[in-house]
Amino acid sequence: MTHDVGRVPALRADRLGKRYGHAWGLRDCTFEVPPGSIVGLVGPNGAGKTTLLALTVGLLAPTEGQVALFGEPSRAQDAATLARVSYLAQDHPLYRGFTVADMFRFGRSLNPSWDAGLAAARMGALDIPLRRKVKSLSGGQQAQVALTMALAKRAPLLLLDEPVASLDPLARLDFMRDVVAASAESGLTVLVASHVIAELERLCDWLLVLNRGRLQLAGAVDDLVAGHAVLTVPRDATNGSLPGRVIERTDSDRHSTVLVSAPPGAVAAAIAAPPPGWAAEPAGFEQVVLAYLRRPQVATTTPAGAKGTAVA
Amino acid sequence: MIWVTWRQHRPQALTALAAFAFVAVYALVLGLWMRSTFDADAIGTCLARSGGAGCGGTISSFMHAVQGGAAVPLNLVLLVVPGVLGATVGAPLLGQELERGTWQLAWTQTVPRTRWLVAKLGLVIAALAVFGVALTAVVAWSWSPLDQVSIRTQPPQFVVEGLALTCSLLCAFGLALLAGLLLRNTIGAMVAGYFAWELCLGITLLLTGPLQVFSATKTVPCAGAACAAASTNSVPPVTGNLGDLVNSVSKVGDHLVVSYVPASAFWPLQFVVGGIFLGVGLAAAGAAVWLLNRRTS
Repeated sequence: MTHDVGRVPALRADRLGKRYGHAWGLRDCTFEVPPGSIVGLVGPNGAGKTTLLALTVGLLAPTEGQVALFGEPSRAQDAATLARVSYLAQDHPLYRGFTVADMFRFGRSLNPSWDAGLAAARMGALDIPLRRKVKSLSGGQQAQVALTMALAKRAPLLLLDEPVASLDPLARLDFMRDVVAASAESGLTVLVASHVIAELERLCDWLLVLNRGRLQLAGAVDDLVAGHAVLTVPRDATNGSLPGRVIERTDSDRHSTVLVSAPPGAVAAAIAAPPPGWAAEPAGFEQVVLAYLRRPQVATTTPAGAKGTAVA
Repeated sequence: MIWVTWRQHRPQALTALAAFAFVAVYALVLGLWMRSTFDADAIGTCLARSGGAGCGGTISSFMHAVQGGAAVPLNLVLLVVPGVLGATVGAPLLGQELERGTWQLAWTQTVPRTRWLVAKLGLVIAALAVFGVALTAVVAWSWSPLDQVSIRTQPPQFVVEGLALTCSLLCAFGLALLAGLLLRNTIGAMVAGYFAWELCLGITLLLTGPLQVFSATKTVPCAGAACAAASTNSVPPVTGNLGDLVNSVSKVGDHLVVSYVPASAFWPLQFVVGGIFLGVGLAAAGAAVWLLNRRTS
């Protein structure tokens, strides 16, 4: 790729596909994620998010295509692959009968690069006693212990699958703040699968949208927002007359509200000087994501943000 | 991996140690009591004098006292120990990880899952083997007076002494391990593993009972009243050797034709039965490793 010359992508999928029996859980997935980014992975239930994460960490083997982590192909059952990626599964599984100290010793025993100092310091900061049993901790504390396990592994890529789904709003904020801090501190690349789009907007600088096993959007969040506009046009304006590709169109009595995808230059021009009788405004992050999620048939073969990144 | 395996199996290990201590104390008391009865009945001196002939009455009353009373609870416990312990240790090893979702944690550390499983299996199997051998040794000591005057090619001795208990323990372990991988449920895997082990035990009981692969025939001369009184239940047996298991006796002129399992068949039979148990157990454990290794969904 031409952008970020010399920087190997943290994560790169190439025509990645996984079939379960006759049904494809994920198909024809091609994208790249730059190192150091926080990537939101969005999609409805069954869209293939967990499949993508499991393929990345090598819990599943792809039916076709491949995933590469920092330029090296990800392989199932490979210690080198496992060393490059930390995985925090949904519902943050831990051994319930273990104490927190036991969990960390487990981590130390199974990971040569284990950072015991980081683990102890985080528990100190969070005021979670090492001698407490996991099952006696609150949901938020368990999630924090699981996150600490993932961070202390010291892998350069962190995968989080619905990490805050079971947490209350305060615990969610704390958790996400810690993820951002860890990423900023050590240049960690983070991939977060989540349903909470508003949360991802605050958190992420890169976005992947999966729908029915296909990749719909992939790119930098800024490019993505800059590449979409909301137009209010007379109802008789045909889709062909609009600048860019129509993603979603809502018709009312006299006007239509249309979300279009277009090169950032065209979007900026339309907003600066809309044709007479039209209104144009920038699209919101959540608005764009929801429009795509509602329309699984809209597939972007070229990632929307790729061109914008190349220009920037 | 050693610490991880120890920590995850600690409750089971402690329970097994407690069970071992309980059985060992019971076996010790029983062994001492058997020895004193054995000496009080002067069975040893009788055996030394005649090789068993003429000791029938004392032996019968000794056997009656031992097998009719104090030894029965121990026999029952020992009969189920391999199945229960093997299933309890084997079922959660994979079953609980899959049931509780912790496999996603265990298999995404830096140790690939096949290596994780093989390391765990090596340690757990070694520990179970040590447990089995130790228990066998304790019981063998306890039962040594009984072994001198009874038939070891039959249960209860046959399924506890020699290789049988240890191999049977590993059989139950392997079956429960595989059941855990297939059922993804600890309790279900325990039950399935236990009953699969019961099937193997059934085969063993067939081999020591109706099948009797090491059966031999012998012609014994006899005369008069001795001939008339000879039966499969004679003590000592009509073959003249205390450990022989006599299946049938038929009179041909002044000879007895005896079909029997010689006491010396104990070890060959142990190897056959132990081999079946160990083969089934290791095949099941091997299947679990293979399935886990190729598992992609």
